[in-house]
Amino acid sequence: MLSTKTTRPNRRQFLSSTAIALFLCSTGRGLGETIAGSPAWKPFDASPPQTLGSGTWYFLTLDEVRMVGAITERLIPADELSISGKDAGCVEFIDRQLAGSYGSSERLYMKGPFQPGTPEQGDQFPLDPRQRYRLGLAGLQAHCRETYQKAFADLPPEQRDQVLTQLQTGAITLKDVDAKAFFALLLQNTMEGFFADPIYGGNKEMVSWRMLGFPGARYDYRDYIDKHNQKLDLPPLSIAGRSEWRVKD
Amino acid sequence: MLLSKRLGRAAFAAFMTAAIPVGAQVTGDAAFSQVEKGRYLAVLGDCAACHTAPGLPPFAGGVVLQTPFGDLVAPNITPDPETGVGRMSLQDFQSVMSRGIGKGGYHLYGAMPFTAYTKVTAQDNAAIWAYLQTLEPVKNKVEPNQLPFPFNIRASLIGWNLLNFTQGEFKADPAKSPDWNRGAYIVEGLGHCGTCHTPKNLIGGDKNSQFLEGATLQGWFAPNITADPHKGIGAWSEDEIVQYLKTGANRFDIASGPMAELVEKSSQHWTDADLKAVAVYLKAGRNGEAKAPSPLPAGDKLMIAGQAIFADRCMGCHLSNGAGVPKLFPRLAEAPLVNAGDPTSLIRVVLAGSRAGATEAVPTGPAMPSFAWNLGDQEIAAVLTYVRNSWGNAAAPVEAKDVATLRKTLAP
Repeated sequence: MLSTKTTRPNRRQFLSSTAIALFLCSTGRGLGETIAGSPAWKPFDASPPQTLGSGTWYFLTLDEVRMVGAITERLIPADELSISGKDAGCVEFIDRQLAGSYGSSERLYMKGPFQPGTPEQGDQFPLDPRQRYRLGLAGLQAHCRETYQKAFADLPPEQRDQVLTQLQTGAITLKDVDAKAFFALLLQNTMEGFFADPIYGGNKEMVSWRMLGFPGARYDYRDYIDKHNQKLDLPPLSIAGRSEWRVKD
Repeated sequence: MLLSKRLGRAAFAAFMTAAIPVGAQVTGDAAFSQVEKGRYLAVLGDCAACHTAPGLPPFAGGVVLQTPFGDLVAPNITPDPETGVGRMSLQDFQSVMSRGIGKGGYHLYGAMPFTAYTKVTAQDNAAIWAYLQTLEPVKNKVEPNQLPFPFNIRASLIGWNLLNFTQGEFKADPAKSPDWNRGAYIVEGLGHCGTCHTPKNLIGGDKNSQFLEGATLQGWFAPNITADPHKGIGAWSEDEIVQYLKTGANRFDIASGPMAELVEKSSQHWTDADLKAVAVYLKAGRNGEAKAPSPLPAGDKLMIAGQAIFADRCMGCHLSNGAGVPKLFPRLAEAPLVNAGDPTSLIRVVLAGSRAGATEAVPTGPAMPSFAWNLGDQEIAAVLTYVRNSWGNAAAPVEAKDVATLRKTLAP
């Protein structure tokens, strides 16, 4: 049995422990580092956003390009407010995102176990977005050929809306992916493409920003602070600039 | 042992060189103050700028100077007998400084600014020499002459000297104040300000009629530092010149590029009296007869595009009125560098970015980011043209082809 008797330090123990404590306090080196001088700097140092050039497809096949175009054209249809999602470059945006780190879930934990979670817990799928697009688009195409004997892109707009609605509500099921989740992914990525900075492939000529009156990637409004109740009409600004930067003859 | 040997050498040098009456005793104090004087003069002349290479011991040489004629490498000036100046005498050193002629009679290239150092007094040279003797001898072999033929033939310098070199110690002007004379001695002599700030002729000699009117070297434009109110520093008060040299920053500007090095290594350590003298001298200099040119009209196509780019990329720091923020972001309005004939430095800082000098008084060393990734040649030309013709500035437009050339030259 453990003794519960408390021991008081004797004089020798007290003095030596005090000495050790003082010694440790007085030589505080090693625990902290003094940083002096200027931080390192080198010419041409910049970390511009990584983008992929236009004019080619990086992940989607030509069939898939046609299909995603037919989808984004219906999710954001051309109307009196703006051009369609397809015309704004959403297919290019989705293609480039799938080709990059997003497409491979490079920055997500992708090892099991995979089990259903709450909505707040986000995706709980073993498939990365590339696989979900490839399998989901193939499944949707198979459904359309079976039901309408046509490719999705060849369906009239109303019928495409109908198929997409069925996808959204889970009225149809796809072979390899969850239909509702796949629709949510398509809608999410289409909106991202429509509203993201044009350097990523979508939002052509900042069409969505012009529609909203969003002035873009600006960071200094000090000159406007005193301009109360005035419409400023600032043209939108992309990371890559804006058309007003060009010298016009 | 080493220390005492070095002290002995210093004392010996001081004995040999100090202008003291024959028979006088050299005390330790006198030797010490002679070395200390030399140490200060070596800082004043910023010998280390060329003779101390990054990562090498002080004054062991090795800094490469890119001249329009080829590369020259600053020699090792530690007292090492094999690779340094250990076998030179004070007389040899005096000849280098005063005549541009090295031990054995060879001619020095003008990259060693003997055309300015010729004005340094023999007493000051003796002090510098005494200080150099106290340095740790470092074995570091340097081949200074890496010029291509025919520039590598030193005899060609005889003709060069005839055209570009006037030998002779500084002569004080009794009509001017002691401050002015001290300032002139520093600026024209040991400080060798003209080495960067005076335009060069075709063979690399100073155009003395345009003393301190600004020149381009190593991809930087060293601005006009005459009292010209438009292109020079005529708008700066004496105190503001002192503040700039002492801290690297004043309400107009922040030292950057080679001037940042000068401020860090040299001028922040100058005495207040010397700073004042230099300011007095520069303020009293020629103030340019030329009338300021008129700015480009705001409706010019370069100005319109430039204004848009400035609003989106520059205004956040330099403000829409070009006023900047003192000690942090340089003022662009009425700035000598901005109004200079040659926009090299402006193009350079937009392309590559730049780091301001960090001094004891102003230690931040703020940096400007590189815009090479974001702005094309024509866009940089437009925004600089706008900056050079707004808020009281007026200067020739910047051309896209000059931006393209510098982009290619500087690319890492």
